[in-house]
Amino acid sequence: MKSYDVIVIGAGVIGSSVAYHLAKKGLEVALIEKGGIASGTSSRCDAVALICDKKPGIDTEIGFASIQLFKQLAKEFSVDFEFASRGSLYVCETEQELDIAKGYVSEQAKDGYDMRMVDRHELQQIEPYLADDLAGGIWTQVDSSMNPYKLCYAFVEEGRKLGLDVYDYHSVQNITLDVQGKVESVVTDRGTFKTKRIVNCAGVWSPKIAEMVGVHIPIRPRKGMVLISEKTPFKVASQKVHEFGYMLSKFEDIQFKRNVSELVEKHNVAFTIEPTDANNFLVGGHRAFKGYNISSEIEVVHAIAERAIRFLPKLKEINCIRAYAGVRPWVEDHLPIVSEVEEVPGFFIASGHEGDGISMAPITGRMVTQLIAGEPTDFNIDKLNFSRYKKANAV
Amino acid sequence: MNEESTVVCRCEEITLKEIQGTIEKFNCSSREVKLRTRAGMGSCGGRTCRSTIDRLVEQMGGPVISNEVPLSYRPPVRPVSFGILGGAKE
Repeated sequence: MKSYDVIVIGAGVIGSSVAYHLAKKGLEVALIEKGGIASGTSSRCDAVALICDKKPGIDTEIGFASIQLFKQLAKEFSVDFEFASRGSLYVCETEQELDIAKGYVSEQAKDGYDMRMVDRHELQQIEPYLADDLAGGIWTQVDSSMNPYKLCYAFVEEGRKLGLDVYDYHSVQNITLDVQGKVESVVTDRGTFKTKRIVNCAGVWSPKIAEMVGVHIPIRPRKGMVLISEKTPFKVASQKVHEFGYMLSKFEDIQFKRNVSELVEKHNVAFTIEPTDANNFLVGGHRAFKGYNISSEIEVVHAIAERAIRFLPKLKEINCIRAYAGVRPWVEDHLPIVSEVEEVPGFFIASGHEGDGISMAPITGRMVTQLIAGEPTDFNIDKLNFSRYKKANAV
Repeated sequence: MNEESTVVCRCEEITLKEIQGTIEKFNCSSREVKLRTRAGMGSCGGRTCRSTIDRLVEQMGGPVISNEVPLSYRPPVRPVSFGILGGAKE
């Protein structure tokens, strides 16, 4: 039976990064994946690493550190993952939104992040195709983009150079524990692997893996649809542009009602657009709880398009060539779970990043490696500990 | 056949040579060929080249996986403007 120091389950962006960082540390690592590399959420998402969509505090701190790591990886890796620091722009539809945005920006600026308000004229200068009746916006220079599945391929290929073994199309069937209740082996449909440590990076599927050791992870799949434009000579957006109302669709605790149609409201649609290296645009965004169902819904397509042409009227003339949906690993408190599970020694979780998995991949990989190596982590990640859910239940 | 001048994906202009090279280098599935080369990701949504890519992967002995999902079909059936989808008045 083959034996490893660490087995990483799930070859999405988090698992690929964790496996790469562990291999770089000199550990013997296997990456086990039920499908192909990036066959789940990481190939059905958008492609940005942002701080502007995070809440002030640890969420933003880690996001910012992750972008710095991306810059370094883009230089080090021989595989290109189309990394670019294009910046990002929030647009506010009304004066009321602009007021809320101002409060948010001043909080982030106080923490030292380079975010600033732009007025309606500057908005037009930065993105000339934006509708001319918008109140203003927020510009964040550090925000970046990349190709998410190429990022997974890059982590895996660079990991292989360091001795990482990849077992794709291996479906995990069971995890066995020894008499002391510690991790002992991973059983797949194509063989069993011995290990003392497992990192569960299965994203929306991580609760199914955790069940094998009797652990309940409160992650739920949160669906999102994206529309793809044809290639067009019109630079309708030169960076990530999204409506400030996006924050409202992401965080349930922000109380603010937009003036939108019933359809847009019903499907929790908030406008986002981003350019890709292939000269298409990805247009979103949408959040809904529909289980693991990733079929395209025509009503959501209508709602996304309706909201998109409100902000970028030029899009009316541009074709949509494709639609897809993916499921984000959602947790109630919007903070990922990055920790060992106390009750099952050797069982680690790195999951629950919701829509921030791409953003957070490098820093998550780095900190999981620090946890496993027994080193201090870059950030105090007590808030990301799995035990927070136990405490919440005890109250 | 000249692999360099034979275009398999017309929308994204991906040649037979690029596709064969990708399968050879990564021993990968049709889906991975698509993601790595963009073949099948253009305006026709792979309707022209999908089966050619599947056959090439099969012929060149890509991963032997019985439950492999073939290249997916995604809406819309043909390109539609955001204006029509979004219910624009004019």
